[in-house]
Amino acid sequence: MITLFFYLFSAVLLGASAMVVTSRNPVHAVLFLILAFLNAAALFLIAGAEFLALTLVVVYVGAVAVLFLFVVMMLDVDFVQLREGFQRYAPVGAAVGLVLFGELAAVLFGWEAWSGSFAVRGSATPSSVSNTVALGQVLYTHYVYLFQLSGLILLVAMIGAIVLTHRERRGALRQDIGRQQARRVDETLEILQVPSRAGAGQIGLFRPKHLPSPVRDREPVERA
Amino acid sequence: MRDFFLHTEVGSGLLTLFETLGILVPVLILMAYSTYFERKALGAFQLRLGPNRVGWFGLAQPFADAVKVFTKETIIPAGANRFLFLLAPSITFILACMAWAVIPVQNGWAVANINVGILYLFAISSLGVYGIIIAGWASNSKYAFLGAMRSAAQMVSYEVSIGFVLVSVLLCVGSLNLNDIVLAQSRHWFAFTPLFPMFIVFLISMLAETNRAPFDLPEGESEIVAGFFVEYSAMAFALFYLGEYTNMIMMSAFASILFLGGWQAPFGLTFIPGVFWLLAKISLIMFFFFWVRATFPRYRYDQLMRLGWKVFLPLSLLWLVLTAGFLEFFHMLPRSS
Amino acid sequence: MNWQAAAPEIFLACSGLVILLLGVSLRQDRSKLCTWLTLGAFGVAGWLVVGTSPATAYEGLYVADGFAGFAKLLILAGGALSMILALDYNAQQRIARFEFPVLVLFSTVGMMTMASAANLMTLYIGLELQSLAIYVLAAFARDDIRSSEAGLKYFVLSALASGLLLYGISLAYGFAGTMQIGQLATAMTDPANLPAGVAVAVAFVIAGLAFKLSAVPFHMWTPDVYQGAPTPVTAFMSTAPKVAPFVVLLRVMLVGFGHVGAQWQPIIEIVSIASMILGSLAAIAQSNIKRLMAYSSIGHMGYALIGLAVGTEAGVRGVLIYLLTYIVMSAGTFACIIAMQRRGQQVDRIADLGGLARNDLPLAAVMAIFMFSMAGLPPMAGFFGKVYVFLAAVQAGFWTLAIIGVLTSVVGCFYYLRVIKVMFFDGAEAAFDRRTASVSAVAFAAGAFTLFFFAMPAPFVGAAARAARVLLG
Repeated sequence: MITLFFYLFSAVLLGASAMVVTSRNPVHAVLFLILAFLNAAALFLIAGAEFLALTLVVVYVGAVAVLFLFVVMMLDVDFVQLREGFQRYAPVGAAVGLVLFGELAAVLFGWEAWSGSFAVRGSATPSSVSNTVALGQVLYTHYVYLFQLSGLILLVAMIGAIVLTHRERRGALRQDIGRQQARRVDETLEILQVPSRAGAGQIGLFRPKHLPSPVRDREPVERA
Repeated sequence: MRDFFLHTEVGSGLLTLFETLGILVPVLILMAYSTYFERKALGAFQLRLGPNRVGWFGLAQPFADAVKVFTKETIIPAGANRFLFLLAPSITFILACMAWAVIPVQNGWAVANINVGILYLFAISSLGVYGIIIAGWASNSKYAFLGAMRSAAQMVSYEVSIGFVLVSVLLCVGSLNLNDIVLAQSRHWFAFTPLFPMFIVFLISMLAETNRAPFDLPEGESEIVAGFFVEYSAMAFALFYLGEYTNMIMMSAFASILFLGGWQAPFGLTFIPGVFWLLAKISLIMFFFFWVRATFPRYRYDQLMRLGWKVFLPLSLLWLVLTAGFLEFFHMLPRSS
Repeated sequence: MNWQAAAPEIFLACSGLVILLLGVSLRQDRSKLCTWLTLGAFGVAGWLVVGTSPATAYEGLYVADGFAGFAKLLILAGGALSMILALDYNAQQRIARFEFPVLVLFSTVGMMTMASAANLMTLYIGLELQSLAIYVLAAFARDDIRSSEAGLKYFVLSALASGLLLYGISLAYGFAGTMQIGQLATAMTDPANLPAGVAVAVAFVIAGLAFKLSAVPFHMWTPDVYQGAPTPVTAFMSTAPKVAPFVVLLRVMLVGFGHVGAQWQPIIEIVSIASMILGSLAAIAQSNIKRLMAYSSIGHMGYALIGLAVGTEAGVRGVLIYLLTYIVMSAGTFACIIAMQRRGQQVDRIADLGGLARNDLPLAAVMAIFMFSMAGLPPMAGFFGKVYVFLAAVQAGFWTLAIIGVLTSVVGCFYYLRVIKVMFFDGAEAAFDRRTASVSAVAFAAGAFTLFFFAMPAPFVGAAARAARVLLG
């Protein structure tokens, strides 16, 4: 039964991966990518790695691929132009791919773990510990340094995105919640008794007591 | 008989099927009546009667609606991607149903009492956005597309703070299993512990996650007509509708399990079965959905994003750190066995 | 857990976070304040590096030994020098933002981690942290199309190289069952009966790291990125980010794959020879000083790789001395290039240097010192770098490498001396803008070091020798 499911998910995974590369419509490609992720998650489940499986779904399908889809949907990709470049570089690309594939094949056929490697490999997970706990136990102890560094990598990515794209817009209107909340009726609303049947000529123009000026973004700092 | 269900593959398959039906049928009935209840409640809020024509007090209204949408014509717009257009509502509905697999309705009663139930629910709810985004794209319509874009940004934003809320709850429990989470609340429900702010964050993010008022921007009927499902009619429309309400009930159940003690009875009233307590709590939170809808105007888009990223994210992160520090300081961290 | 071993990195990362918060929360732009704070943090980190006693930490993922310490000091020096160069330059070019020092700082943390990597995973994560910050730095002048191009080009190619490296690492892990560099050799007990896959793994690791070193044939990005990136960033790229991949390459190859030397030594030799030849020949045709420096750095990496190909303790010592002298003279040269500004605009043609000797003799003189040193003429520091590397090659019998090295050095003299000729004997161009204090400080300090290195090379050579002994001991 499990074997059947394994082959089912693997087949769909391979098919979907092939479609990611070959489909002409980029949105379809991303959707196939999502399908591939889901099947990979299912394979993880079969392998007994339930935490990894669901994390894969949450992170890659639930967040990364959504944003990916978001961007791809908004892009207007010119396929004719894209294919021109593709044909020009196809031979080189194919050659490189072939070499890599050949090496991979060589590795696969010549694969043999060293006898010495069994002595130094990490110990297997004890069956009494669920794999979420097991992951947590090594991630926050043995690998805490790398874990934190990975956090720094993400931070740098974020700083980079902000540095390269954020521009302070001159004079954009901005909502100041605190100020809105602090406003009281008698500051903004003035109730006047207007005499009836009297024109503007007699009573003059009414003006608000004070016009609240909209909050503007601070002027961008001149980089001196 | 017992052996057939427990020890043969066909039998256990059948058993799972029965279990699935056993939870989905009540959920769907609950869903049908929640639409009725919502309309009644909104009516009361707005000093009108609400549905009262079909059946006794209008109680047959949901079935009348069902018959209506089933018999209408399914229209697929020209230029729409047929397959994806029909896939989208199915995704929404199927995901909403899938989530119920792990919800425990009584101690140990769940279709699948898995180790990582909380992650499963989180994953399923994070997939919900696909139905909407695919619908928006496949409809080949501006309004639908705008709705899809809004929804993608919105759901991803609020998922982050929901994630932190979940982490702080499971810090207190020490397990990702939903049943364990409920059991851990046998003395105190988490909503009445220092986790209270997280409960509030969860309730509000839940509104955003299910695209309900005041965060119903993907729909935004006054701005973008009906957003992502503007082109849908008949059964496809009904599936979105079903999906939305099933999701609401699911999120209510999720909130009850995380913060209101799930099937635990309050005040020692244990003679009433846990299922009913869970039902009561779900109804309470469903009422909260309707109440909010009747009370608050819709958020503007930038306000929505501001709330998600600048208020909830820092708040939930800070509270997570405080929770962890508190538990560590008072040696209350659950030790893994 | 022995976390104190990583105290320099931890301190640096934490101060980076503090500086970041400070920069964000201050209302005005405070890039200068942030830069000075970062420099202070570098100083403290350097002090911590010197004070850290040799140890392994984090279950063997991280090692703080003398070799790593030497490399870390070089890295910190490179980062600090280029940050000083950026101090006034960024303000002049209107790209001064407080994120600049923060990115340099995080990149430095990544490089220091690489220097201390005792595990292939640590290596990879350090490398990514380093590279990611540099992609952004290369595109830092975001309104300048060349800078954006540089950033994008470096990003795409470097991501590919990282992928290759990761592929190699995963293969090595598949064969050896461990990612600990020290245990790779233990795991692969029988070098005679070597599966083809190990050779592939080693080749991929070399390819990934050689890309970061801009060694031929992975050098294509170098000229464009050097030219496009803001000059202080180019200075940074040619100093510290050359040291870190190099020391990690030394550690992985000599410690991890030391016993299968026959597999990778020819690769390194070919890469080294190709880099030396291309670096010296292609530089001849350049008219842009930054592109010239790019080819020059390709060539220099070629010379330094001789030390790795030799693989002896003397070779490692040669590499370390080479890197030391190289980063100093490189930072100095880029200081001079930054001084090449007319009316606030950076000019970077070699011809723009014409008549510099008449307009600004001290600058011309110090630039001449760097050019002599780059060419490897005695008694400049660059000469010692080459001598120690060639000496190691000759001692170990790598005559081909040594001879090609000497020949390409002679070719290299041609274009370095051409720069000097332009400065001293060619027609006068308009004078440059007044040098800023930071540029002068770096240029003259580096010049003094380069010029007077011969007077007391002993402490540096001694330190390098000790570091080499630690690595191979």
